[in-house]
Amino acid sequence: MPAQIPAHERLLNLVIALVNTSGRMTKEQVRRSVAGYQDAQSDDAFERMFERDKDTLRELGIPVVTVTSAGHGDDIGYRIDLDTYALPPIDLTAAELGVLAMAAQVWQDQAMRTDTTRALTKLRAVGEAPEANDLAVGLAPRVRAAGGALAPLVDAVQARQVVRFTYRAATTGEVRTRVVEPWKLLARRGGWLLVGFDRDRGASRSFRLSRIEGGVRPVGEPGAFEAPGPDELEAALTQWAPREERVATLAVLPERASALRARAVPAPADEPDWSADPAVGPLLAQRDVVHVPFRSGWELADELVGYGGAVLVVAPVELRRGVLHLLRTAAELDRPDRSGTDVEEGRAHG
Amino acid sequence: MAERASDRLLRMLGMVAYLDRHGGVPVEEVAEQFGVSADQVMADVDTLWVTGTPGYFPHDLIDFDADSYDQGVVRLTEARGMTRPLRLGTREAVALVAALRALDGTLHAALDPAEQAVLRSALDKLTAATGDAASAVDVRLAVDGAPEVAAAIATALRDRRRLHLRYVNASDVATERDVDPVRLVTEDDRSYLLAWCLLVDDERLFRVDRVLEARVLDEPALAHDVPDRQDVYRPHGELVTLHLASRARWVAESSPVEAVRNLPDGTFEVDLLVEQPAWLRHLVLQVADDLVEVRPARIAAEVAAAARAALAAYEPLGE
Repeated sequence: MPAQIPAHERLLNLVIALVNTSGRMTKEQVRRSVAGYQDAQSDDAFERMFERDKDTLRELGIPVVTVTSAGHGDDIGYRIDLDTYALPPIDLTAAELGVLAMAAQVWQDQAMRTDTTRALTKLRAVGEAPEANDLAVGLAPRVRAAGGALAPLVDAVQARQVVRFTYRAATTGEVRTRVVEPWKLLARRGGWLLVGFDRDRGASRSFRLSRIEGGVRPVGEPGAFEAPGPDELEAALTQWAPREERVATLAVLPERASALRARAVPAPADEPDWSADPAVGPLLAQRDVVHVPFRSGWELADELVGYGGAVLVVAPVELRRGVLHLLRTAAELDRPDRSGTDVEEGRAHG
Repeated sequence: MAERASDRLLRMLGMVAYLDRHGGVPVEEVAEQFGVSADQVMADVDTLWVTGTPGYFPHDLIDFDADSYDQGVVRLTEARGMTRPLRLGTREAVALVAALRALDGTLHAALDPAEQAVLRSALDKLTAATGDAASAVDVRLAVDGAPEVAAAIATALRDRRRLHLRYVNASDVATERDVDPVRLVTEDDRSYLLAWCLLVDDERLFRVDRVLEARVLDEPALAHDVPDRQDVYRPHGELVTLHLASRARWVAESSPVEAVRNLPDGTFEVDLLVEQPAWLRHLVLQVADDLVEVRPARIAAEVAAAARAALAAYEPLGE
């Protein structure tokens, strides 16, 4: 028996055959004529081999199309569509290709890494020799791995295909199946999010990928829903968009909170004279006034509470209430009759 | 691990398209172009040489100039119609463009204008070639710290120079020290500088947003033996367990936890290794609302005492 033809060689022969065929090739023609398929020991083995190879090619972005011919009844043929095969003209310099090579390191996610590496291999065919660049020696950022849900969700967003997954709600801990029209995936501080239309709730919702349990399955056909309009998408994304910047006024003990002081900005123009304030004035005898810009009130309250009494919030008052609420709750932590958690009053922890 | 057949297929198709544009190319150059060894290139060429269209007679096969090849130069003479570079798949385009955008957004302050321009032009060209595919994914990484700090760190890393840092730790204590920078690690939450600290003569991880000042020194940075770790933060210290309401799940998602246990009533427990007590106290203050229990119990007493002291300081301000 002659040596078997390895898979990469068989795949290459299949691609070349399907690109060069005049019209199409049937499965039988592939089996008879394309080098590598003669190794299949049975009809079943051939079927499996051919199906798997077609899937591999499609996975790589090679457009294998089926062609039915009127003259041949139900007989299906295949070819590779050269019009959609080719990369649009793109011309990459050595430095640009070097940057792309670095982009592949951004993902910690295995699936995203594989995709980036494949893209890079394709682009190497059209670029100059990549320049080893020191653009970011030791600077490459990394995006946290999103787990198995990311790749199927990217596909589903692109195909506008509805998905079904099991989700653990953060508010209640309830585990439930969700059916969602996926709109967009966001990587933000704290992890990956899916924004989409929850079909059961009849409203847009966002889901943390880390709370998806098990797999993500497509439901129904591609193109099953309209892509959201810009307004609709923007409304759904509002909660993740940066909010307007405000300035907090803090009374800080000397030598303390250098990390806050490093972010300090000048006093706003409409700042009252705090030294004349009956409550604040006396405090300032032992404290410095520091102004710190912020966008999210709860995020800053979370940070400030760590300084305890070394940093007091003078203004705005909502921020002070936020810090005081955290402190009052914490002050009860060692009370033996503490009744556990207070579930009603929630903070939207992003 | 052996290379996957699919990855090898992609490279061989890429090689044909590349060689078709370039006449004769030395084996080493092809190797550099595709980021593989010269031996791998020769193995790929040997495979390409025996593939072609059905029939597989000499005129059906991909062909190279044998004389050139004997001298180490790959010259493609017959491509069998495979000269066109392959387009990017949807997810490939998404993954690459999103990664570039993340680089652009994160590194901008640390790059000089020429470097920024290269990153931008690569991004523009790719976006033009892939259409709106990449809008499916939007990556924004945390950009921490002052721009001057980021720029000084970038310069020191690039020029391999020593840095002088003024740094404030989680316990709010500021120190000055010289470090030899190893790597800047930007996770989606925070940026950290991994460096060899000459003050303690050991590797240390510095949160960039706690670097108050960074100055590039004239001395070169020395090479130190620092392992290439995937995880940024590997604390060692006391084992602490927090029992939390479901709403506080962000704790498990944003802190380096040792273990998470989901309980039947929807609450969960996380085990943390705590190196810095100040860090833990801060975390407990933040999750006090959702905290069912903390073990060891003494931590609850410490945090409560700290909270009461802070409330006393607030008294003059009223509500």
